[in-house]
Amino acid sequence: MTFGERFSLNFIEKNRYQYLVSGIENTLLITVVAAAIGIVLGFLIAIIRSTHDTTGHLKILNAICKLYLTVIRGTPTTVQLLIVYFVIFSSISRPMLSAFIAFGLNSAAYVAEIVRSGIMSIDPGQNEAGRSLGLSYPQTMAFVIIPQAFKNVLPALTNEFIVLLKETSICIAISLRDLTYGTQLISSQTYDYMFPLLAGAAIYLVIVVFLTWVFGKLERSLRKNER
Amino acid sequence: MNGDVLLDIQGLEKHFGDNQVLRGITTQIRKGEVVAIIGPSGCGKSTFLRSLNLLEEPTGGKIFFEGTEITGSGVDVNHIRRKIGMVFQQFNLFPHLTIKRNITLAPVKLGIMGKEEANRRAEELLQRVGLPDKADAYPAQLSGGQKQRIAIARAMAMNPDVMLFDEPTSALDPEMVGEVLEIMRELALTGMTMVVVTHEMGFAREVASRAIFIDEGVIKEDDRPSVFFSQAKNERLKDFLSKVL
Repeated sequence: MTFGERFSLNFIEKNRYQYLVSGIENTLLITVVAAAIGIVLGFLIAIIRSTHDTTGHLKILNAICKLYLTVIRGTPTTVQLLIVYFVIFSSISRPMLSAFIAFGLNSAAYVAEIVRSGIMSIDPGQNEAGRSLGLSYPQTMAFVIIPQAFKNVLPALTNEFIVLLKETSICIAISLRDLTYGTQLISSQTYDYMFPLLAGAAIYLVIVVFLTWVFGKLERSLRKNER
Repeated sequence: MNGDVLLDIQGLEKHFGDNQVLRGITTQIRKGEVVAIIGPSGCGKSTFLRSLNLLEEPTGGKIFFEGTEITGSGVDVNHIRRKIGMVFQQFNLFPHLTIKRNITLAPVKLGIMGKEEANRRAEELLQRVGLPDKADAYPAQLSGGQKQRIAIARAMAMNPDVMLFDEPTSALDPEMVGEVLEIMRELALTGMTMVVVTHEMGFAREVASRAIFIDEGVIKEDDRPSVFFSQAKNERLKDFLSKVL
């Protein structure tokens, strides 16, 4: 078979490219929802943990957060996904929902530690300046500490979301039709592995390069004023 | 101008673990006073100053601000701090905000002023500290002396009743000390009550209405600068002054 014939077989005939298109959609959707859950929950955990570390308050919440981080970071993501799908949601069989929750909870643990490191890296004088002006602890966090911490950890967060995007490829374990599973569906019909897999890899690469570019731009615009 | 007691400090103590830094400090700061606090490093003078707005929580003794005990439980610390401005050795400007927003952040977020009123006040304060053209600059674009002048303006924006200065010129290059002291001198002339931890003996002598020598966690000498600097009674103070003057 010529190159053109193999290309046509894998992607054009029977509209097989559709497996990739819907796969991209699902992969992106899972990444975006999980990242959103990760950011919200991760910031919350980071704030609880750093508040505990600097003030000694929130002992119980901090202990819960620590346990959560230990469990999530100490077990494989694939196992977590399988538990959510086959154990927690065993009766309703909702692969997308399972993926949102599993990847969201997983990402939150990593985002939390990234953001916490960012908060702890801010000079204590910033907090003192905010408090000395009469701002409350939450106000100082919101207007003084978090904006600076966010800027500092943006490169690490970018990295986390790239890892997250690529890690969604394990959705194949719960037969969720993401991009990777899409390539396998094509292969199962055409008995050709190389074309679909290389196409899948190229698509992941393009998305990651694009994401890196967007975050890089955001980072530069946030840093613009600090020279 | 000197009148009501603004800060009444009674037997103030502070421990850091086993280390007792303040061993019972009793004094009063009256309205309109400019009090210079002097002492060797590690004597507790910064801790004392930082206790006045509860950045350090005292472990003993009482502080009354405008008649209200602020060291008791159930006191709204944030509300009291609005009336006690503070200027830090390291400036502690907010690097992610413009100069104008550094100044307006607290008054606006605390609902004390509207945005426009706060902006007007900021411009007025920038004029006063001689940096009217820096409103839209960021802290990183300023020199140390300029940063400290902005920090003073930021504290002033809250219209405090007293201003605390924690070694405001110690982190500055020598040629920038003068411009900051000049602003502080002008502030003192307006009748602002000031408590200044400083190593600038010239400033203490000329601008302060009172000088306090803290050593080993207690006040060893407390007098008018004219007496304090020339007729010191305490041996430790004499020794200290002979080294720094």
